[in-house]
Amino acid sequence: MPKRVAIVGIGQTKHEESKGHYMYHETDFEAAKRALDDASLSRGDLDTVIASGWDAIDGRTLSDMHTCMAIGGYLKDSSHAGEDGIMALVYAYLRIASGLFDVALVAGHGHREASIDAVTRVVFDPLFTRPAGRNYIITMAMQANSYMHKHGVSKEQAAKVVVKNRANGARNPYAHLDSPVTLEDVLASAPVAYPLKALDCPPESVGGVALILAAEDVVRRITDKPVWIRGIGWAIESYEMGDKDLAEIPSLAAAAQRAYKMAGIRRPLNELDLAEVHEATSFHELMDYEALGFAKPGQGAKLIDEGTTEMGGKLPVNPSGGSLCANLFGASGLVRAAEAALQLRGDAHGRQVAGASLALAHGLSAPSGAAAPTNCVAILERG
Amino acid sequence: MTQEEEILIMPGAWNLPFRHTAGRFASRFFRELRDNKKIFGVRCPECRRVLLPPRPFCERCFASIDEWVEVGNQGTLELFTICYVPFLGLPPPPIATIMVKLDGADGCLSHILGGIDLSDVDKAPELVKIGMRVEAVWRDERKGEIGDIEYFRPVKSSRRA
Repeated sequence: MPKRVAIVGIGQTKHEESKGHYMYHETDFEAAKRALDDASLSRGDLDTVIASGWDAIDGRTLSDMHTCMAIGGYLKDSSHAGEDGIMALVYAYLRIASGLFDVALVAGHGHREASIDAVTRVVFDPLFTRPAGRNYIITMAMQANSYMHKHGVSKEQAAKVVVKNRANGARNPYAHLDSPVTLEDVLASAPVAYPLKALDCPPESVGGVALILAAEDVVRRITDKPVWIRGIGWAIESYEMGDKDLAEIPSLAAAAQRAYKMAGIRRPLNELDLAEVHEATSFHELMDYEALGFAKPGQGAKLIDEGTTEMGGKLPVNPSGGSLCANLFGASGLVRAAEAALQLRGDAHGRQVAGASLALAHGLSAPSGAAAPTNCVAILERG
Repeated sequence: MTQEEEILIMPGAWNLPFRHTAGRFASRFFRELRDNKKIFGVRCPECRRVLLPPRPFCERCFASIDEWVEVGNQGTLELFTICYVPFLGLPPPPIATIMVKLDGADGCLSHILGGIDLSDVDKAPELVKIGMRVEAVWRDERKGEIGDIEYFRPVKSSRRA
């Protein structure tokens, strides 16, 4: 019988344009220190640490030489997920659920030392696809176009997601982009890759995030406000973009179904109090609604049109402002989990969803963009 | 630390050589491009899909593949984006990168679109249409690589031989 696992510590830095006085892994260090302080624990209380992020983006292979030490790993069990930090959460969950470890710290960072476009290009197959110009944002643009074309979704509907998230982000003290925008601002912003305009795309942010997880036997010694991981699921899909219908995200749907089954959720739109989704672009938040079962295929835009996912709506999505307001490339998924956990503790100051007790956090781990995304869904509950 | 403290930026770059093994599947595909201006896919023995690029196994059926199928030089544009900012590895913007379902294939090949003036940002998405017919434009000097097809261009009735 796997052990129950709770989030018992949360740490984030301010996410911003630059932190010139920091080396890249100092954001991990700051976030880890904050999470330990939040849990009133010290480094000695940790049994295992898991860092995250892509070595090529960090510009160092074996970048965990820095990151594992920066999050308290000295002479401890440690690992590095070459993934978005959401997968570090998965691996820490498994370590604790197994009964072999009691307390784990997971962390991730974003920086601006690399061109994401240039580095994610080498994720693609050098023989067939790289010569056709593929990188993270290009494949996301193609996916957005596929979705728009198949379901008649308009640029205005996608732009409403930006307006919603930027308004939310303006109330989040950790957000990088903390000013609201109008529909006109989004539609008039510079074209990047059709149908994406500049404001449809997340910024690249510098910052760090860390969570501490603990086994059920030790949770109550650490906190009286645990956030339980009630369900968790993850899945990867094909790398062959030419073989699939890009208007849907089957890996996210599969991850969600596993997490819902584990948590006993049948009607997510009715049962959840909020969701933090890792929207790769404005269009992708609408696609996420569908893959997560909040809306039927092709009906995601209805939720934004009807205000269902706004603050005060039936299911607020991204009260933090989402990736469109702060995007740690390699840890944005883990930020979603941190933000959902803050909501369930009642600590999401300025952006709190009143009385939240059940939340969904979604993380996307995909340097290849739409080609081979790994998606993870966690269902979190106030303890 | 003071506000005035000078922070240095250290430039870096990776330029690492590789020798990628094309293997028997990609080698045959590229030889056919180079020598015969023909495009081949492979057929999965179980789901019967004709897959491009050719590959040694079907990931869905988990079956080995050994049947080759010639597909058309023409096909349908299934998906595109038009890049308006410069990206490493692509010609200067505006440039459309596309997915083409060649006649007789079930999967799409990744390539770029040529033969259309995309300089008008507002009009360009009306000129490139999902579902439009496109054809391969071959280089005269071919090297056995995907670039032996220079680009795909819209099929015009006058070009239909």
